[in-house]
Amino acid sequence: MNKFINNPDNITSELLEGYTMAYKDFVKLGGENIVVRAQPKSEDKVAIVTLGGSGHEPALSGFVGEGMLDCSVVGDIFAAPGAQRLFQALQMFKRDAGILLVVLNHSGDVMSANMATQLAERSGIKVVKLLTCDDISAGLDTPEEDRRGLAGCVPLFKIIGAAAEEGCSIEEIYRIGKKFIDGTATLAVAMKGCTHPQNGATIACLPEGVMEIGMGQHGEGGQGGQQPLVSADATAEVMINQLMKKVKPAAGDKVTLIINGVGATTHMELSIIYRKAAMMLEAAGVNVVSGRIAEILTVQEQAGFQMILAKLDDEQERLLKYVPSNAPYWTTLGNCGR
Amino acid sequence: MEKLTIDDFKKMLRVAMTNITAREEEFSKLDAVTGDGDHGTAIVTAFRAVCEGAESGSEFKSMLNDMGFNVMMKTSGSTSTLLGGFFLGMSDNAAGTELDAEGVKAMFKGGVEGVKKNTKAMPGDKTMMDALVPAVDAICACPSADIRQVMDAGAKAALAGAEATVAMKANFGRARNYGEKSIGYADSGATSWSCMFASFAEAIG
Repeated sequence: MNKFINNPDNITSELLEGYTMAYKDFVKLGGENIVVRAQPKSEDKVAIVTLGGSGHEPALSGFVGEGMLDCSVVGDIFAAPGAQRLFQALQMFKRDAGILLVVLNHSGDVMSANMATQLAERSGIKVVKLLTCDDISAGLDTPEEDRRGLAGCVPLFKIIGAAAEEGCSIEEIYRIGKKFIDGTATLAVAMKGCTHPQNGATIACLPEGVMEIGMGQHGEGGQGGQQPLVSADATAEVMINQLMKKVKPAAGDKVTLIINGVGATTHMELSIIYRKAAMMLEAAGVNVVSGRIAEILTVQEQAGFQMILAKLDDEQERLLKYVPSNAPYWTTLGNCGR
Repeated sequence: MEKLTIDDFKKMLRVAMTNITAREEEFSKLDAVTGDGDHGTAIVTAFRAVCEGAESGSEFKSMLNDMGFNVMMKTSGSTSTLLGGFFLGMSDNAAGTELDAEGVKAMFKGGVEGVKKNTKAMPGDKTMMDALVPAVDAICACPSADIRQVMDAGAKAALAGAEATVAMKANFGRARNYGEKSIGYADSGATSWSCMFASFAEAIG
């Protein structure tokens, strides 16, 4: 295993220290493996909190900042944080306006979130959970509880974070967020596996010249199966067609398209993939009003990407594009960036 | 036995802790058939946290609440979630320093509701629900005002429920992937939960 690390047990705490040192104007540590804003949001506004394992940087702590998250609660590599740490964070953000807790659908995260919210409710803390389940690799008709939460949570953070910043009620933010989730689909493809940085285990070993569509963000297989590696255009075409079948954008509908590199795939390749997917959408008369090519949620040195397609209404488009954010890994200038 | 006191309840917990610890390896071996083989360790660790939560308790509602809180805060994993939900649910349905048979029935009924908040597993899925649900059904259906008889009915039903999982095919969680291979072995969770109910009855018997 070739990685620049120190003691494997200290990876999570050390990476969070480095991150908060680099972006100290925006974020700081609020407790052990808890990242919060440097300048807290006023207490009359809803707080947005999320949780997840480390090893996916910049997710999820990279999206803490004004206009996005208030707090990310971080577990060890690929592991959910315990209910205790999450409960500690919920106590920190206790407020009459309430806390919206965004949970990516992975069993460990869901379990910790369920426990912590039960304990919070018994302690008089108002928490509403919002579950993301954007992965469509298990099939288009798979029930929500069997679909994983992938990088589609990141544009969600932007939209609901903006709504919270503008002072929307928790019910209103939940409605906006749920509508976004219902119109979002993500599909992942991998062509080279990665190693677990703590135990060196090989995750998702793929032979040369083979790709797997539907790979999860811990390298776990989907149901797309392994297939011979094909060109960027051919890969993009297969994936965007699947996503369009799920999201069903009609001609004239607005969407955002995001290509998220998962670690070892170059921005050069990601851009070529974006080009084809956007062209396919435009050919179908779909209005791609927002796009992004970036590494927002990675899987160590895995090669591949996640393609995210999400429908936007006028309100979501405004919240996504024109409300400012200073989160270190999703900075939006606001109206002057138009 | 007409009244269950805090001391009686703490004795039930102590006996359960002892019996569960004694059978740790057996629970792990059963879990290894369709899982990662750690149920023995998980239930011992989680039940210890339950007992620690009860230590300073002197009243049912707050003591049960502390027990559920402690296990959920100090340990993680599905065993912890389910035990935590069980005792939090019991806390919502019990109060005071002693319970009569009706109070005991209401408390355990609340426990099942608390577990249901934390799992979608149903009886027949080959999980701990196959011991818990019949146990609490039997507790609630027992016409006696003698808490010994009530708890004895629960213990017998839990044991029968756990034994019935031998013939079942796993239908929940990761174990579901093992399909037919899961037949012929009792479910580890149903077995450990039946051990808990048997211990409760033994402690006041």
